[in-house]
Amino acid sequence: MLRKAAAFLSVYYAHMTVYRGEILFWLLSGLAPFFFMAIWVEAARHGLTDREPLAFARYFLFIFVARQLQVVWVTWTLSEEIKNGLFAFKLLQPLDPFWHYLAQHLAERGVRLPMILVLLAVFLWLYPGALVFSGWGPLFLGLLASLLGFLLNFFVAYALGLLALWLEEATDLYEAWYVFFMLFSGYLAPLDLYPAPVREALFWTPFPHLAYLPASLFAGAQVERAGLAFLALILWTLLFYLVSHWLWKRGLKRFSAMGA
Amino acid sequence: MRYLKLFFLFWQTALMARMEYRANFLAALGVVFLESAGMLFGLYLFYQNGYDLGGWRWQEALLVMAAARFLDGVFVSWINPNLRRISERVQQGTLDFVLMKPADSQFLVSVEQFTVWGLPSFLVAGMLFLYAARSVALNPWYFALALLLAGVLFYALAFALATTTIWFVKLYNVVNFLGAVLWNAQYPVSAFDRPFRLLMTYGLPVYFMTTVPAEVALGRKGPGFLLALFSLSLGVFLFSRAFWRFALKSYSSASS
Repeated sequence: MLRKAAAFLSVYYAHMTVYRGEILFWLLSGLAPFFFMAIWVEAARHGLTDREPLAFARYFLFIFVARQLQVVWVTWTLSEEIKNGLFAFKLLQPLDPFWHYLAQHLAERGVRLPMILVLLAVFLWLYPGALVFSGWGPLFLGLLASLLGFLLNFFVAYALGLLALWLEEATDLYEAWYVFFMLFSGYLAPLDLYPAPVREALFWTPFPHLAYLPASLFAGAQVERAGLAFLALILWTLLFYLVSHWLWKRGLKRFSAMGA
Repeated sequence: MRYLKLFFLFWQTALMARMEYRANFLAALGVVFLESAGMLFGLYLFYQNGYDLGGWRWQEALLVMAAARFLDGVFVSWINPNLRRISERVQQGTLDFVLMKPADSQFLVSVEQFTVWGLPSFLVAGMLFLYAARSVALNPWYFALALLLAGVLFYALAFALATTTIWFVKLYNVVNFLGAVLWNAQYPVSAFDRPFRLLMTYGLPVYFMTTVPAEVALGRKGPGFLLALFSLSLGVFLFSRAFWRFALKSYSSASS
């Protein structure tokens, strides 16, 4: 079992290094938090909030890290493979294709990580003092939240990708999820600057816990109701796991490969 | 005239192919409106505390956003699908078929595809523009002209970047990157911290694509800036053509 997993990961790691150019550009496409940081830093310098500019640099730096740990593209792959029939070959193997896709994503993080580190070095040169180490506890919790966030994103993307079995094309549905994420997770602006009722309404949605929660933990900031936030994150992950599982069972009955 | 006819023919078939995926189309529609609402909300967070973003009034800043939305429409409906197609063609070796045709190859690969998914972006751009135009004095002709030039500039940059697919074969994400660049240019450049201002002016020249059209329209910059924008767009466009020809020399088709 372990040996199989290791073999899978190393194969997909090799596979992913082929796409390093792709991954680099993808990483560069995810720089939005830094651009928003630049606006907030400038605003903070003009005294918009009582926070110092560096606080924003720190916040968005960790938002970026949390996001990079969570990016998924399985909707796109599933959609594509269902359309062109490659999906059928995956079904022939005595293994749930789910593990293929998961291994692909995990291995890709190995290619992405060194690039992230280079980017962080450039960032720290521009904004020295933005990176803080706030102890092993917060770091561990932040990573845990990111991991859960990754799983949640993955299950959502997987479920949406399976919808391609009915709709043929499902990539824009994931775009919709991503837009919700951007608006409600603290990706564009620190969530604590949102009006209080909005924040309250968002608490039981998955979004704030995907970015705001891990970023605050990494930065060592006070997180209100951290336990409940984790609970919400876990519940949403479970829910989408069940949904994707159910769609898988229903969808397979519908799937007919090209030529079959 | 022949090229115009070709353009409409491509346009029509692409439209028909797209309408097959209706659910996806509706989702794409919703996404654009939601995204725009989100960007407005993001902008509002600054103005609610009485901070004039980089010295721009609310309506003036909306004009920059309108420019960004317009370019996003151009990008989604036209640039994005075509550039993706080039990458696919290189992978499958079908670029040969294009090169064999008796028409300019850059023209063919640039206008072949067209989607209606950019429509909502144009709509939002129009609404933002009308709202801004009601409360600040601006010159709509300058704005339109600047946007046209910005569109050419954006196309030329995008095309030059996508041309690298001849060597790297798989570069879908270059296209995504361009969309992201545009996305970051929805706010006036003067609102950003200094290193980013420099990057957006000299590195990725998004300053010329969204902020300059608004500045020219509002009279913050004289019409002379239009001339500068024109030279820049023309220069990058000519570069993209030369670069495409140069890249084709390295293209070896699938079978050879």
